[in-house]
Amino acid sequence: MRKWIALILVMTVLVLTGCSNEDQIALDQSNEPVANSQSSEGNDKSMVIAVNAEIISLDPHNISDTLSRSATNTMYESLLEHNNSMELEECLAERYEISEDGLEYTFYIRQGIEFHDGTALNAEAVKYNFDRVTDEEKNLRRRRNFLQVESTEVIDEYVLKIYLKAPFAPMLDRVASLSIISPKALEEYGDRGIITNPVGTGPYVYKEWVTGDRLVVIKNQNYWRSGPQIETLTIKPILENGARIAMLQTGEADFIYPMPTEQVNIVANDANIEVIEGMSTIARFTFINTSKDFYSDVRVRQAMNYAIDKEAYTNVVRSGYSTPLSSHVPASIKYHVPQPLYEYNLEKAKQLMAEAGYPDGFKTHIWAPNDTENMRGMEFVSQQLAQIGIEAEVIPMEEGTLSNSIYSAQTPEESTVHMWYVSWSAFDFDGATNSLFHSRNIPPTAPNVSYYRNPVADELIDLGSTEVNSIKRAGIYSELQEIIWEDAPWLFLGSDVLLSAKRTTTEGISVGPGGAINSREASTSK
Amino acid sequence: MKVNTEIKKKQEDYKFESPMIELSRKFLKKKVATVSFFFILFLIILAIFQPTPYDISQTDYSNTLSKPSAEHWFGTDEYGRDIFSRIVYGTKLSLTVAIVGVTVGAVIGSILGLIAGYYRGIPEMIIMRTCDVLLAFPGLLLAIGIVAIIGPGLINVVIAIAIYGIPNFTRIIRSSTLAIKELLYVEASQSIGVSDLRLLFKHIFPGTVPALIVSYTMRLGTAIITAASLSFLGFGASPSNPDWGAMLSSGRNYIGIAPHMLFYPGLAIFLTVLGFNLLGDGLRDTLDPKLD
Amino acid sequence: MRGYIVKRLLNMIPIMFVVSIVIFLFIHMIPGDPARLLAGHQATFEEVELLKEQMGLNNSYIVQYKDFMVGMLTGNWGNSLKTGLPVGDMVIPRMKPTLILAIFTIVWSVISGIAIGIISAINRGKWIDYVVMIGASSGISLPLFWLGLMLMQIFSVQLGWFPTTGIDGLKSYVLPSITLGAGITAMIARYTRSSMIEILKENYIRTSRAKGLSEFIVVNRHALRNSLIDVITIVGLQFGFLLAGSVLVETVFAIPGLGRLLIDSILFRDYTVVQTVLLIFTFQFLIINLIVDVLYGVFNPKIKYE
Repeated sequence: MRKWIALILVMTVLVLTGCSNEDQIALDQSNEPVANSQSSEGNDKSMVIAVNAEIISLDPHNISDTLSRSATNTMYESLLEHNNSMELEECLAERYEISEDGLEYTFYIRQGIEFHDGTALNAEAVKYNFDRVTDEEKNLRRRRNFLQVESTEVIDEYVLKIYLKAPFAPMLDRVASLSIISPKALEEYGDRGIITNPVGTGPYVYKEWVTGDRLVVIKNQNYWRSGPQIETLTIKPILENGARIAMLQTGEADFIYPMPTEQVNIVANDANIEVIEGMSTIARFTFINTSKDFYSDVRVRQAMNYAIDKEAYTNVVRSGYSTPLSSHVPASIKYHVPQPLYEYNLEKAKQLMAEAGYPDGFKTHIWAPNDTENMRGMEFVSQQLAQIGIEAEVIPMEEGTLSNSIYSAQTPEESTVHMWYVSWSAFDFDGATNSLFHSRNIPPTAPNVSYYRNPVADELIDLGSTEVNSIKRAGIYSELQEIIWEDAPWLFLGSDVLLSAKRTTTEGISVGPGGAINSREASTSK
Repeated sequence: MKVNTEIKKKQEDYKFESPMIELSRKFLKKKVATVSFFFILFLIILAIFQPTPYDISQTDYSNTLSKPSAEHWFGTDEYGRDIFSRIVYGTKLSLTVAIVGVTVGAVIGSILGLIAGYYRGIPEMIIMRTCDVLLAFPGLLLAIGIVAIIGPGLINVVIAIAIYGIPNFTRIIRSSTLAIKELLYVEASQSIGVSDLRLLFKHIFPGTVPALIVSYTMRLGTAIITAASLSFLGFGASPSNPDWGAMLSSGRNYIGIAPHMLFYPGLAIFLTVLGFNLLGDGLRDTLDPKLD
Repeated sequence: MRGYIVKRLLNMIPIMFVVSIVIFLFIHMIPGDPARLLAGHQATFEEVELLKEQMGLNNSYIVQYKDFMVGMLTGNWGNSLKTGLPVGDMVIPRMKPTLILAIFTIVWSVISGIAIGIISAINRGKWIDYVVMIGASSGISLPLFWLGLMLMQIFSVQLGWFPTTGIDGLKSYVLPSITLGAGITAMIARYTRSSMIEILKENYIRTSRAKGLSEFIVVNRHALRNSLIDVITIVGLQFGFLLAGSVLVETVFAIPGLGRLLIDSILFRDYTVVQTVLLIFTFQFLIINLIVDVLYGVFNPKIKYE
């Protein structure tokens, strides 16, 4: 018996010490480069960006979240790109032409650019990418952006033509969303292997990705235009807001996004930190399910909009970093036309409720994702609606349950959602409208969770997406915005002021209106 | 004769001092545990009478995040609600969640533990292996899983706490049942043909009560922490309920800006859980004769 | 004894099978659809349906379970539904940080827990006993995430002694393991204290004292050695607590460990990863449990093994 005990104890001790010794060695080794780079003070050419979510994938054709896009953008580029004012600029394409009928797009590709693996960038390579992303079999996430593409054709070594099935107004924005991957790398590593072997033309070259911990990229020495002034860039997911700010305060992070709005006052007093405000394409609103009895009456929906104090919303929920939403698209989206705000007016709201037959309000509920900021917004909405007798129970749900509850309803009658507090971000007007308001896009097809069905609006949405003439398009969208605003299928709340923060030594990193981080010209004086 | 009277005297003493009173006296000698006991009693009174100076859902957007003052003793939260009132009200929620959850877990767990420890054999194997499986998932994960399956809300937090408490109670009760069963008087009763049920509840169960009380008290503390942790991970009660964990969880966004939002709910949780733990320690000392 | 262990090991095989079914049902009972989560709200219905098909989610549960088990047994764990990477590539690198954190935590909390327990036991009833034990109990009375955030504010942001987050070097593990170990220290201190108190009353201790051995030797040589036995059995049971705590601590300190991977994967309904991680947890727990049970029996001969 005693022998057994002794044996077990000895083994435990051996295992424990064995492990810790090994780990110590391993850790010390991994520690070395860090120590070296820190010893040469004022010459640290590595930077860390801390973000609030995890990178899902590094295959730029197969991602749908903004952060993975930020991550792949360090290594990949597209034919066109959006600058921080949302304007399109040429990138890998030198110039482009669009045919009169809007069905043919010709791209002239910049010459002399090489992928990280030395493969030359040419029309053939770009075509390979278009073919991959539009492949129905592969069903990659980005395919949804190119459903209008009929085919692509190599005209010349550096000239590529794209043929569309029908005119599609936001086509250039969609082209800008397609990162170009080295065809050789795709051949070599395959569709799954490319995730951990990214090869693009971008300002950084892949070094390593430890899921859940960090993505490390190093400077591309052969970059074709002015690139980063640093050697390595690390992107780290730090989910806890407090921890992310702490990293910035201690200098462990050079840049953080997002900067939590509540904490701005703290870092504002720190001479080493600068908070950056930017415009965003993020709209915050609440879907009102118009297929439910009380919400089918437009007067109720308008009354609810009148009952929301937009200024208080900005201050309480976003600590002042928000602007009232003046249309269903944020002001940063092209073709936005500001509508007369539903001013905060409880008298008017109560009167409308009475007219609609609900002088005493009703009981309902509101859903939101279960992170603290969304819960705060949802609770605020509930408090405001209580003023006109609408008793809205707040129900936080994690994303999986939430989307399941929404998309499992096969018909409007089956839907259990009443209100859904949410945010939406899109690059172009169509992206910010079509799937949210077109009657064909009610769940389970897409997130028109208001179950908004207005034939006039449907027609305008369809017209707008195929109208290539931008003046005509502006007219169509102006009319559409008025109709949706009047119908009030949402509670229109606010559009974010985008907040990021950096050490004062950091330069050249910025966040675009959609929330994608651009680190092409990163430099540091630390 | 002399010996006889001495024994008689002792018996009289014993009659005079019922075990309950004796134990209470012993318990009261333990100062820390006594203080904890009265603190918990105080909390229960708070929970019942709820002396809240303000309506807990009354908002004041012009007076958000204000520091503690004569008007608002613990300051106000992000909606301008009175934190003191919410903490007082939260006492009821937090205690109810903990007490209901742990009690349900204790009842089910004890029954299973008695069965496993008494009958041994196949029932024991099934019960104990099920416990192993449940315990293999750390409590918090189990709670998360349960809330994920049955949806969010206060009641579901209670259910989660109950379920994940079961295997712990089963284990504890089973091992004290095993120990008691080894005692002679049980074997004696068995041999004279006392029914199983009677034996279980008359003789064995009372023997397990001390262990049960101690771990019940401690579990109450753990339950409060678990509820708070669930809130931290976003699986807790609805944020409009002034549950301490939910307050702490949303308050952490204002760390540095409005420390009182983090401090007071944290303090409430800390003192309450500490109270339960110290009370549990005291009870263990009192009820465990070996430690005398 | 040896027979008992072999029997328990053999018992594990059916248990693992049952557990695998429980795990499988458990995660499929959670409402949600990984295809929709991966595709996002902007995806079309057709895209989600096709993705479901490709993920094999349209297969019957029986087929899905069979694939899962065959994969487990043949070492082909499949690909993560979320990242598309092989499950092994996602799970194995996550073990190290969790393991290091666990070892650090156990080591320091056992040492400090025993020390606190002894101090408190030999000063039983004196003020030092109260102070030390209340201090230890405080550790178990704080929500871990709150303690972690506070420690980070004080020791990283204000004093700059330790990194705030991450796993760069052993220094990074200091604050997380303090946070995680606070509760375990308290529990070990309690057990040490009560078992020391008990042992100090035993006859042989009295004898040693009577022999004129110094109190130091009595406590350390004789009493401690015996009470350690109780403590070791308790430590084993703390592993569950450790894993649960690691979920919170790994979130606060951004440590890429198994706990956080599991939570993230549950949130994402990443079935393949969740199944694998939970099976690993279960297996580890059963082994630890077996060791604890054996030790119980070894130290308490009253319990018979059948």
